[in-house]
Order: sequence, then C-alpha cells, then structure tokens
Amino acid sequence: MKKLLSFILVFLLIVGCSEILTRVKPYEKEHFADPKMTLNILEGRTEHEGHIFLIREASAGGDSTFQGGCGCR
Amino acid sequence: MKYLLLYSLLTFFLFAEVNVGDKAPNFTLKTLDGKQIHTMQEFKGKVVLLNLWASWCKGCKKEMPEFITLQKQNTKDFKLVAVSLDDSKDKASHFLSTLKQKIPFTVLHDSKKHLAKAYSCSAMPSSYLIDKNGVIQQILIGSLNHNDIKVLQEKINALKKKEKR
Repeated sequence: MKKLLSFILVFLLIVGCSEILTRVKPYEKEHFADPKMTLNILEGRTEHEGHIFLIREASAGGDSTFQGGCGCR
Repeated sequence: MKYLLLYSLLTFFLFAEVNVGDKAPNFTLKTLDGKQIHTMQEFKGKVVLLNLWASWCKGCKKEMPEFITLQKQNTKDFKLVAVSLDDSKDKASHFLSTLKQKIPFTVLHDSKKHLAKAYSCSAMPSSYLIDKNGVIQQILIGSLNHNDIKVLQEKINALKKKEKR
C-alpha cells in the first residue's frame, strides 16, 4: 500500500509538471487575445503623445531605436 | 515492472491524441441560440467538416466566408459543422453577424471546450474532415485559404463517392 501511494505521488509529481498540463492550450487563449492585453494599451495615442512631448520639451529625436538622436545624420 | 506498466498506461491515456484513421469522438452540443441539440451520430452517412473556431481568432474570421461558399456548393451528402469555443455565445453571434451573410452550416457552441479537448485541438482554427463512417480522414490545422478549399473540395468529392459501410 505504501509502495502504491509513493508511486501515485511520484506519478503526480512527474506528470503534473509536464508541458501538456501546464501549457495554455490554443483554445484557452481568449483572454490573451483581448486587445487590452497588448503591451502598449495607449498605442493609438502614441503619436499624439510624441507631438505633445516635442512641443513642450522643444526636443526631437531619441524617441526611437533608429539612430541615436546625436544630430550627426 | 508492474508499476512501470501502470505508469506507461496512465501516460498513454494522458497523452492520447486524435489522429487520422481514428473514429471521430462523439459530441452533444447546443446551437448558438440554444434551441437545438446536435450529436456527431446524426451526421453519420454524410461527409462532415468539423471546424473549431472562436471570435477572437483572426484566422477563423478569414476562413469563414470560404466555408460559407463551400457549404453552398455542397448541399448533398456534406455537412459543415462549425463549433464556437468562445466563452460567451454573444461574442460568437456578433462575430457571425459581422459576416453579413446567411450562415448555411450548423453552428454549435462549446464554452466548456470539451470538444476541443476530445479532438486534441493543437491550433486555432482547426478542421477535421470526417467520412461517412465517422472516421477522421484529414486534420487541417490553421486558417484555410481559397486554394486550400479547392484541394479540400476534391477530397470531399472523393469521400462522397465512397459508399457507407
């Protein structure tokens, strides 16, 4: 009995961590697909925010990964 | 040795998948309006394309008009059964209403995802081509475009010609 119980325990430990149980299934991704789950929820406002920043700070460049904003280009 | 066999058996059931040549798992599901109940059994004798979709899946939206055409072209011995895996029926109904076309195929709702589990759905959308005897003949993973549907039509025609055992 003790052997069987320990077997079940080991089985549950091994199988419980298996990828097939822990992975989010494709049909369970409804909430991930929600627009509010995007990394930048203010995506639509980014351009507007950039414009305001440019006017208020009187600065340009350095807000993208393209070029460094050193003014050498 | 006894435990090893037991472990193998349990693992086999856990990882069991639906494959081509397997009997299509049965289901009993309600339509989107909740008025009718359909089972896999009642489609026996017809070639069935079982499609698993959801309103939040972009690929599903893309292939839906193709499915409408496919069902319209195959009125005899063919049934397209689209099963929505949305949590809410309203989302699925809204999705279909945006297509602005009359849906000629059967639309069922499986909020508990029992069917997706039974068919071991590995991607959204997924479609299963089932012959007249209820045997899975093809598993189509991902969104189907116009050319895919053309190839599928040939396969459906071939399956329609086969007699029911």
